[in-house]
Amino acid sequence: MLPNRVLSNRVLSNRVVLALALAAFGCVWLLNLGVVQPNRIVTGTGYGLYAATGWLGAGIVSSLLLVVVVLATRPVHKRYEVLAALLTVALMTLPLLLEVFALHKLPTDSAYARIGIGAGFWCLAFFLALILLETLGQLRASRRFQLSTVLLIVAGWWLCASREGLSSLSLIREYTNRADQFAQALAVHLSLSLSAVAISAVLAFALALAMVRRERMRRPLLGLVSFMQTIPSLALFGLLIAPLGALSAAFPFLQALGIRGIGWAPALLALIAYSLLPMVRNTYVALIEVPESVVDAGRGMGMSERQIFMQVKLPLALPVIIEGVRITTIQAIGLTAVAALIGAGGFGTFIFQGLGQAAMDLVLLGALPTVFLALAADAILSALKFKEASR
Amino acid sequence: MRVWLTPVVWIASLCALAAWLPTMTPLFSWVQPGTDNLIYNRDSFYVLLQSHIWLVLASATIGTLVAVSAGIFATRPAGRDFLPLVSQIASIGQTVPPVALLALAVPVMGFGEKPTLFALVLYGLLPILRNTLTGLNGINPAVLESAKGMGMSSAQVLLKVELPLAGRVILAGIRTSVTINIATAAIGSTIGARTLGDPVIAGLVNGNTAYVLQGAILIGLLALATDSLFEAIERTWARAFAV
Repeated sequence: MLPNRVLSNRVLSNRVVLALALAAFGCVWLLNLGVVQPNRIVTGTGYGLYAATGWLGAGIVSSLLLVVVVLATRPVHKRYEVLAALLTVALMTLPLLLEVFALHKLPTDSAYARIGIGAGFWCLAFFLALILLETLGQLRASRRFQLSTVLLIVAGWWLCASREGLSSLSLIREYTNRADQFAQALAVHLSLSLSAVAISAVLAFALALAMVRRERMRRPLLGLVSFMQTIPSLALFGLLIAPLGALSAAFPFLQALGIRGIGWAPALLALIAYSLLPMVRNTYVALIEVPESVVDAGRGMGMSERQIFMQVKLPLALPVIIEGVRITTIQAIGLTAVAALIGAGGFGTFIFQGLGQAAMDLVLLGALPTVFLALAADAILSALKFKEASR
Repeated sequence: MRVWLTPVVWIASLCALAAWLPTMTPLFSWVQPGTDNLIYNRDSFYVLLQSHIWLVLASATIGTLVAVSAGIFATRPAGRDFLPLVSQIASIGQTVPPVALLALAVPVMGFGEKPTLFALVLYGLLPILRNTLTGLNGINPAVLESAKGMGMSSAQVLLKVELPLAGRVILAGIRTSVTINIATAAIGSTIGARTLGDPVIAGLVNGNTAYVLQGAILIGLLALATDSLFEAIERTWARAFAV
């Protein structure tokens, strides 16, 4: 009796989707969907779903969640396909809710008035995304399918954000006020973190090779790189200021290169130091774990040691090495944001400027792109890893 | 007993340095000539150290409780449905940089200790959750079968077999989480939490390298002391449950 009930329960209802939909429903009705601010600093007045978007908006959101609940609990034909399509469209068009809100509540007589995104909106987006994730998992969607879904949603948000109706969104106002600085921050952020990854990849490869050749070097080298990983970022950035400052004061040619106690030089050094551990560990493990039988087969075919390394070991080790690059890149993107504290630039500048001025949307303008860059790096490098692994 | 020597030495030197840094004016006047404000004095280093440790300890405790219970729930028959989603959240969540999470906590909760603690708990529970799932899922099913065969109830299996076996992996997750949180708590100074990051931030704002050094040295020592403490705990644990 019992196993049968559990089994039929499984087929009939998806409790995960049900729980998430109910959580989304609670959040969107209890929390503020949006905020109207008289200017960029003053805390605004919050509006709930009904107050913000009227019967129409509240009705559409509630019935969407109701449909999700029905699909989660009833044995509808092809329900996960329907759910996936429904949620993708809902997520793509979600910013329109804010547009309706702006239309309803934004005072037309003030040039500085703006609307902010409330916790209810973020929660709704978050739970819808989780339901979509679960649905894609149930569908056993391929990586390509998942990626195109994400791209569709990003494109939807992009289109919504470029519409006139959302120009009063404070996040977009902060952006339009600093479009040049934003482009520059993006360039600095990317070049700092990517050059740190590239340099540490070369260094780590040499170190890993040395460790493979000479077993004796393994413990001290791994000890050193993991020691550096333990030092908190703020401390390492701080500790580099004095020595680099002294070096730059002593050698004018370093100063001419732009190497000073603050700025990109200590940031790059610290980023490389942090990147070494995942890179060295993964490269070493990848090279060491190539099965001896495969290497022997290569020798049997008359390959030279060099050929064996280039044509056998390296391709087999590549997925694990790419995994190291993935971890390192994500970490470097996050640490570059911290490096703004020592004047290295990048999106962290907006975060810390915004915190200093208590301008929350400036904080968002720095934090959201940082998160986005990290997620994008994760997606790209995971895809690359799977491609290499499946070859 | 010898495994505990290293952490004791690190902790002793951390406490000693926190006490002696204010007397090291000659050293810092060499680093930062031409100013009278050589020693950070808005708070004593002990107060900052205490508050820093408190933040990390509280977040680690809450994070461990939440993450381990969530991990246990997702691996029981009642919660199996949630397992794929929970493990995806744990791995995607770790992609988000901790600084970004710290910054995003401010619009929601304002400035101070509260948003810092919130961000630390939220971020800190991800590695613990992931390792709890790895640890519990990695147990040989035959071991669980034989435990059941011995007449153990499922609660007994969990407490006497599963958690001890997964303990090392969970402990490694807590170590990762605490390491990250010590670093993130230091950055919490920028959102108004009182931590050892204060001297660093104050020094960076005022161009006072002496302040920066004092904060940085203490943060570094705290991290190293904690890491060696975990190393000792892990070794002791491994010895206690050696198979």
